[in-house]
Parts: sequence; structure tokens; C-alpha cells
Amino acid sequence: MGNLVVNLDSGSTEYFEQVRYALTFLSEDVVSYEINEATLQLTVELRPGTDMYLVGTRVAQLLERYKPGEFGMKSVVYFDQRRELPVIDAWAGLLERRWATQVGEGHVILRGLAAQLFALVDHKICSVFAKEFGAEAEVFPSTIKSETLQRCNHFTSFPEHMDFVAHLKQDLDVLSGFSASCRSQGWSPSLHEGKMNQHDFAICPSCCYHAYEGMAGWALDNPGRCITAILSCHRYEGANHKSLSRLRCFNMREVIWVGQPSWVIANRARAEVLMHEWAKDWELSCVFRASNDPFFTDDFAVKASFQRQQEAKRELRVDIPFDGNNISIFSSNFHAATFGNAFGITVGGRSAVSGCVGWGCERWVFALLSQFGFEPGNWPRGLKRDFNAFAERISH
Amino acid sequence: MERDEIANALRAHIVERYAVPEGDPDFNDDVHLFDYGYVDSFGAVDLISYVQETFSVEVAQADLIAYSLNTVNEIASFTALRQRGEL
Repeated sequence: MGNLVVNLDSGSTEYFEQVRYALTFLSEDVVSYEINEATLQLTVELRPGTDMYLVGTRVAQLLERYKPGEFGMKSVVYFDQRRELPVIDAWAGLLERRWATQVGEGHVILRGLAAQLFALVDHKICSVFAKEFGAEAEVFPSTIKSETLQRCNHFTSFPEHMDFVAHLKQDLDVLSGFSASCRSQGWSPSLHEGKMNQHDFAICPSCCYHAYEGMAGWALDNPGRCITAILSCHRYEGANHKSLSRLRCFNMREVIWVGQPSWVIANRARAEVLMHEWAKDWELSCVFRASNDPFFTDDFAVKASFQRQQEAKRELRVDIPFDGNNISIFSSNFHAATFGNAFGITVGGRSAVSGCVGWGCERWVFALLSQFGFEPGNWPRGLKRDFNAFAERISH
Repeated sequence: MERDEIANALRAHIVERYAVPEGDPDFNDDVHLFDYGYVDSFGAVDLISYVQETFSVEVAQADLIAYSLNTVNEIASFTALRQRGEL
């Protein structure tokens, strides 16, 4: 194996985070990589025989992509509530208690207290947010047409995390041969080669796309529609998969508005106020700030900078003391008329705008256990109150 | 060029380039062009190019962070000040 060592220019922690996140998608010949922020060096460990020049060129391309350059990133903090926290290894605690079992890369089964917290968070969202906005419940399929994702411009922003779906060809010989091979030699990926149909679906990378697709061509009544749904989403993250904080398969609950601009904007703002109240009540150590998506394309700077400038994405990031890091557990997004235009949704004779707020349920579980531990009696008063009330409710 | 002249030209350009329907009740010089969906992120880059070329001003990316440039009035005021060298 060989090591490629690249000297880096100085940069912000945020810049290094973006680069670190993206490096997993550099090449399948990369075994591991490490950024040393103190020495400003990136070390990439490569498989034997890898073309170092080629990988070096790609590294340079990624570094250039995420360089803030003259674009700059607007930084806005809406609220910041930090508190002293114990250091708890929630992932180890979950595994030890068998409240989490990893069943594949980024695939986790939750049970026990973890499953109860998951249900509590979803119940809280439905009883507070969905109720406040009169959201209509919708049930979405877990897969989505690739054509729909194309209309959402998803592939041109996030090609790296797609999980596509395909089935075996409708061909008796293929089906019988596949089955016979599995019986005689056991399943292996190579048995799929040349036997799959074209990929026409993908696993949903996000919850809200189905909402827009489902309203294609609709002329909405004023001021618009509010929807809520929970969906099991997929995002392939390579080496970034970690505990419950970055899963390949995770659940996202969203509240979505499609309609008049002023109505969507006002509801999004109201949802952020409710989220702030919730964060205070449960005493989360967190910050709510303007953010951007990790666009995985060479126009990252333009897209991310515009998103920041317009404050189109805001995230509630909670501290995870054990990792010395923070993760996003709630995001508030404004899409303007992007989806209204893409799917021909109108209100009052012109394209509807949309916005959504979303909660990553497994991340909530991880954040709560990381900040407050496994003993409900020691939790903050608001969390304990809601947990006990919910337990009481489901026991009857 | 006076600020109002800039606003008139800019408004006419947006109506034509981004197909704003005639008599659109929401469209005015103070409407947030992005929030209200008149211009998207791709259109923003295009709009800045139009301002630079038409009014012969430099708009650096840093300006997009430093100044609020979301409405016809905001962009027109910025452009007039930049033309006079006051920004």
C-alpha cells in the first residue's frame, strides 16, 4: 500500500469537515484517509498499484471545490443554548444493552429505550407541529422513480449517496439460474452480473419529494396545503457511516408546506419558534444556525453560498460530547418555487413555493442518550415529563 | 444612471426573463425575488451577470454576503451607489 500526502492551505473547521465528508467518495482505491488540522496535511492510504497521480488530481479537484474562495459563507446563529454535559458513549451503551444491533453498513435495529425514545420524538412532532399546522397525514412509498429525482435536480446535487433499486430480469432462465446458483453456492453479488433489469427506481433519499410528485399538476386552493409524513430514507455515505449519527437507512419525519409564499414563509418561521421552545423545554445543548447542504458537485460554492445567503437551510445542531462534535437533528428548508415549477403545482395562478421542516429520528435518539444518558430519572424535567406521559399513554 | 432608471430597467428585465405574469398581484419592487419564486439559484447568477453587464458595475461574490440584494429596490440602490463609487 502507498500513502499520498497532500499539503493543505489553512482553512476553517467547516472547510475541513466538508473535505473530510467528501473524501470517502474520491476513489474505490482509497483505503483510509486522515486530515491533520495541526500540520495541515492530508494523508490518503491507497491500495497497492493505485495510480497516485490520478488520485492526487482528484484530491486537488475536491480541495478546490470546497475552498470558500471569494464566495464566503454567511454565518447566522438564531439561538445558542449550551450547557455542561457529561461525556457518555451512547453507541457503546446501546450495543451493550442490546437496544441497538447493527445489521449492515449504516443499518441499525433499535429496541428497548431507544425504540421508546424514537416513538416519543415522532409523537411529539405529530402532537405539536402537525397539530399546530393542521397537517394532513400522507403515507409514502419507500422507493421513488429515478425520473422524479431527476425532476427534483437531486442527481445534479447529490449523486454520491443514491441507493438505486433494480430487480432481476423477467426471464425464466435468469430467474431459475439465479435461484439455482443461490441454492448450490450461496448468494454473492457476482450472481447479479448481467441479470438485472435497468434501474428505474431509487430508495428515497429524502422524505418530501413524494409530496410534490403527488401533487403534480394540481392547482391548490389558497393559501396552500400542509402535509406530514414519516419515511425510511437511504443515503449511502461510504466511510462516513457511524453509530446512529450517520446511517445509510434512517427515518425522517417532515412537515411540508406547498402554497403561497407568505403563508409558507410564516409557517416555517412559526415551526422554528416551536422548535426553539422544544429545545429549551428538553434542555438540549445545541445551536440553531444557517447551514448548507453538502452538494457533491463542482458548483458546490455557488449553490452552498446562495443557500446560506438566502438562509434557505437552517439546522438545529446538538452537541455530542463523546465525539467532541455536533450533529443536525432538525432542519428547516425553504425551496422557493423549485418544486412548484418542477411539478407544475400552482396557487392563485402562479407557481406554488414550498418549505419543509424535518427531524432525523435515529439522530434524536442518539443525541438524547449522548447528552442525558440511559437513566430516565436523571433526564431534564421536560423530557422526563413527556417520556412518562407517553409511556402512560401507550400502556393503556 | 439614476436609481429609478436602474429600477425600471431591472424590473422590465425580470418580468421578461423570468416570465412574470402580467398583473401578478405579488410582484412589486419590494417583493423578495427568491422567496417568492420569481428567481431561483440559477437565475440569481444570471441576474447578477445582467446587472454587471447592463449597468457596468462590479458585483463580487462577497457583495452577495455583505449586502441584501433580494428585491428590485435593493439591487437598484446597490447598483446606483456602486456606480457612483459610494460602495
